[in-house]
Amino acid sequence: MVVEDFKGFWEWLIGGVNYANGAWLTFLFICVATALVAIFVGYLVAVIRHGPFEAFYVCAKVIFQAPADILGTSPRRIFAIARLSAKEAIRRRVVLVTFIIFALALLFGGWFLGTRGEHPERVYVNFVMWGAQILVLMMSLLVSAFSLPEDIKNRTIYTIATKPVRPTEMIVGRIVGLTMVGTGLLATMAVMSLAFVWGGLNHVHELDLDNPVEASFAEVNERVTGRRPSEMAIKEAFTTKSSGHDHVVEILEDVRAADAPPPADMKSVIRVEDRGNKKVYYRVQVRNVGGHSHSAIVDPNTGEISLSGAKGFFRARVPLYADRLDFFDRDGTERVKVDVETLEVQLDDFGNPITEGFNIGETWTYRGYIDGGTSLARAQFDFSNFTPDRFADSEMIPLELTLSVFRSHKGNIERRIRVGLQFESIPEDSRAEPIYRSEVLEFESEEFRIQVKGIPRNLPGSLISPKGEEIETRFFNLFEEYAKNGRLRLVLTCLDENQYIGVARADVYFRAAEGVYWWNFFKGYFGIWLQMLVVISLTVGLSTVLNSPVTMLVTICALVFGFFSADIRELTLPNRDGGGPIESFVRLITQQNMQVKLDESVQVTIMEATDRLLLRLLEAVTYVVPDFSRLNFSDYVKFGYNIGENRIMVAAVISFAFCFGVSILAYFSLKTRELAA
Amino acid sequence: MADTTSKVPESEVPVKSDKERRSALASNPDYNPDVIVEAQSLTKVYNDFWGRQKVRALKALDLEVRKGEVFGLLGPNGSGKSTTMKLLLGLLFPTSGRALVFGQDATEVTKNERIGYLPEESYLYKFLTAEETLDFYGRLFDMPANVRKERTEMLIEKVGIAHARRRQLREYSKGMTRRIGLAQALINDPELVLLDEPTSGLDPLGTREMKDLIVELKSQNKTVIMCSHLLADVQDVCDRIAILHQGELKELGDVGSLLEIGDENDVRITGLNPEIEAKIRELVGSMGGTVVSVEKPRTTLEDLFLNIVRESEARPGVRGTRVAQGLEKASADNENKKNQN
Repeated sequence: MVVEDFKGFWEWLIGGVNYANGAWLTFLFICVATALVAIFVGYLVAVIRHGPFEAFYVCAKVIFQAPADILGTSPRRIFAIARLSAKEAIRRRVVLVTFIIFALALLFGGWFLGTRGEHPERVYVNFVMWGAQILVLMMSLLVSAFSLPEDIKNRTIYTIATKPVRPTEMIVGRIVGLTMVGTGLLATMAVMSLAFVWGGLNHVHELDLDNPVEASFAEVNERVTGRRPSEMAIKEAFTTKSSGHDHVVEILEDVRAADAPPPADMKSVIRVEDRGNKKVYYRVQVRNVGGHSHSAIVDPNTGEISLSGAKGFFRARVPLYADRLDFFDRDGTERVKVDVETLEVQLDDFGNPITEGFNIGETWTYRGYIDGGTSLARAQFDFSNFTPDRFADSEMIPLELTLSVFRSHKGNIERRIRVGLQFESIPEDSRAEPIYRSEVLEFESEEFRIQVKGIPRNLPGSLISPKGEEIETRFFNLFEEYAKNGRLRLVLTCLDENQYIGVARADVYFRAAEGVYWWNFFKGYFGIWLQMLVVISLTVGLSTVLNSPVTMLVTICALVFGFFSADIRELTLPNRDGGGPIESFVRLITQQNMQVKLDESVQVTIMEATDRLLLRLLEAVTYVVPDFSRLNFSDYVKFGYNIGENRIMVAAVISFAFCFGVSILAYFSLKTRELAA
Repeated sequence: MADTTSKVPESEVPVKSDKERRSALASNPDYNPDVIVEAQSLTKVYNDFWGRQKVRALKALDLEVRKGEVFGLLGPNGSGKSTTMKLLLGLLFPTSGRALVFGQDATEVTKNERIGYLPEESYLYKFLTAEETLDFYGRLFDMPANVRKERTEMLIEKVGIAHARRRQLREYSKGMTRRIGLAQALINDPELVLLDEPTSGLDPLGTREMKDLIVELKSQNKTVIMCSHLLADVQDVCDRIAILHQGELKELGDVGSLLEIGDENDVRITGLNPEIEAKIRELVGSMGGTVVSVEKPRTTLEDLFLNIVRESEARPGVRGTRVAQGLEKASADNENKKNQN
């Protein structure tokens, strides 16, 4: 899963050291800019109605009346209008129809989804969350677009506007009421979806084997099955088919030192053999299919093996990401990111230089690549808050990696690219304190999947003095020694010469104790709820000035902008091939090459200036419309990651700030509107 | 509409008169508490989308409505009555001039706490029941639950829709909708009541009850402004009227003095026969006067209708019509004549 934004809530809100990149500043800027535009437009309208001098008086009156009006807002009146809007929405039956469509989709959706493919849980979650999102947003759009305009059209607004009801109460009341209805619907959908996903994916298999069970297993033979057996596997069998698939069950020969701890899952052990100073645990393992597996439980009396329900579908991994990722070159120097035009070193919010990996020719620069065959070229992940309380009492600390590979030559095509992993302590003062450095752990990279590595709590390594001398070599504890101050450095290297390993910051993380799946599922729905809130407030706000069809159209445009704001913003970047919208159109009509500069003329100058203006306007719109991708958590649920509180808080603040801004604008729009005209 | 017997104590109704009077005085030093509504050169021009003048609905209207009076706005369709009403309510903004209510600008939302408004057609939420409707409007006045409940009960009884209190308004007849519309206008026990065509859609009985209610409001020292083109209704209840035509004020004054025919008088006599009539004419002529007409006084159709309904309610059954009674009398006379012959 692609994660590009790692900022914590406060870092996002306040910004880095100079507060320049804080969200509050952007919000303030948008507020001021919108207010100025609104005052200008309001004044222009007033000039048309009353003339320039009277217009000034009218505008001033409306602005100065606003604080008292807004402060006089009564919760009781808001709630009264909210109840009315909710009743209206329910009695219009749009909500019921939406619910029926969703229920039908769930009823028949299971026929087409199945559990055969790779990661069926992603398909299930995608189906229910996408369905709920589209239906709820469309429903919200419909009921909100018709709520106020219908009141104005039917003149029912007369009996409300002639009561001591402030425009804020009419607007906020509607937003609250329609949100209440949407919340009820969404909560029902969430519960139904969870039941659907759970019921659709959870299944059991049986092992239909004769007694003695162990003897019924076949010898592992790759040539016969064509399947690569697990390490230590000696025998294998198949489960019964369920949900369109079966699993390979293997008996592993797990040889351990006599004093070594036994396997964590002793329930799957068939028998234990003593071989002098070693112990052999014969245990049953169910191979993973489509992202899930089952636990084997061996009955100690009868020796029969039973299998648990599906495991691995319902996950809410809590990743502990690195705070910082730095790339180093073959000569050991930092690969500092430099602006192509200004040649200035690019800095992050805290004034530190940003580094980048090798670019292997992809336009998507999400991952940086590490040069192979040298320990100096490396990616360095710095973790903080790496403390034992964040991990369960498991023997191994799970480290998950999603690595990309770029081969500059064929090499040994049957062998995967080798990766080196090393841990280091990060002392507060590296000139005075020694550092702990582990030995390099080698493993083969597996592309296109998450590799899980269990990191033992005790790792062999050395204690190195600030001068670089080796003080001590032994096993050091990961938490008490390597990360004694809660900070840990992970160094990733590519061991094969002239091959490259690509990583991004989100690709390497320790998996802390897992979150609760159903809770994470509801957090995903909270994202949809926030989107719904934004759609309702935007639609209600627009409906104070536009009629229902136009309101719907504008909101749909805003939704498109909101979901693709990053892509649209990219379109507005200067010096793009083909120029702006008008120039592109002219090139299209006249069949001119995109890269060839147009002949200079007055027309071209005017066209380019207009394009620049249009692009700046387009860019401004992308900042005013909320970034819906930030409010969308469905990918987290889909890929089985816990949705962090930081992310939820950021999304909630964005949504409520937008709702607040829209309500204020809508107040002025309704206040200056003649309801009986 | 039944008489008001259970009134909610005024102290419980959240009317912030004193506070608002003070605020009105603060914002308008010329505020006279006896003048409830004031229009100063009030003009309204409707423009089209491009700002071009479409119609001049109201032309420099000047008028005052004083506390405790029933004021009628009269005029044919399109004369500017409803526009005036909407300007006073703040539903429209004046093109020029001022509309003041309780000394405050008509667009000021706080003035609405002391106002009740019955629109021309009862624009209410059809999916609510009568109880829900009144409870909803009570909430808009920030009334506490117990006050809302009491006033809802009282008004439902008062406007005579107790039997349909839990029915959705979509099932109501036009007359019943007017009644619930009136009830919502009175939910806050307003000091100023604006009634737009209050008797429209009501049967004669309802019309009379509405007029009685207006008189009752006046007796409670409330100010009523009504606009109507049913002249008889206006004549019956209004103290003063303004006649508008094509957006201009044509006449303004007391109903009595406006309708008075300067030098003529009515004399009602019983037992008048041709001889007495001749003598009266002779006497009046000798004194320099002229008997303009001698006619039988007539009751109004409204009174006749109401008498019939009341009689019918008191004594159910078939009532002999006047025509039938006349025919019976004529046939009896013929029989008598035949017998005599």
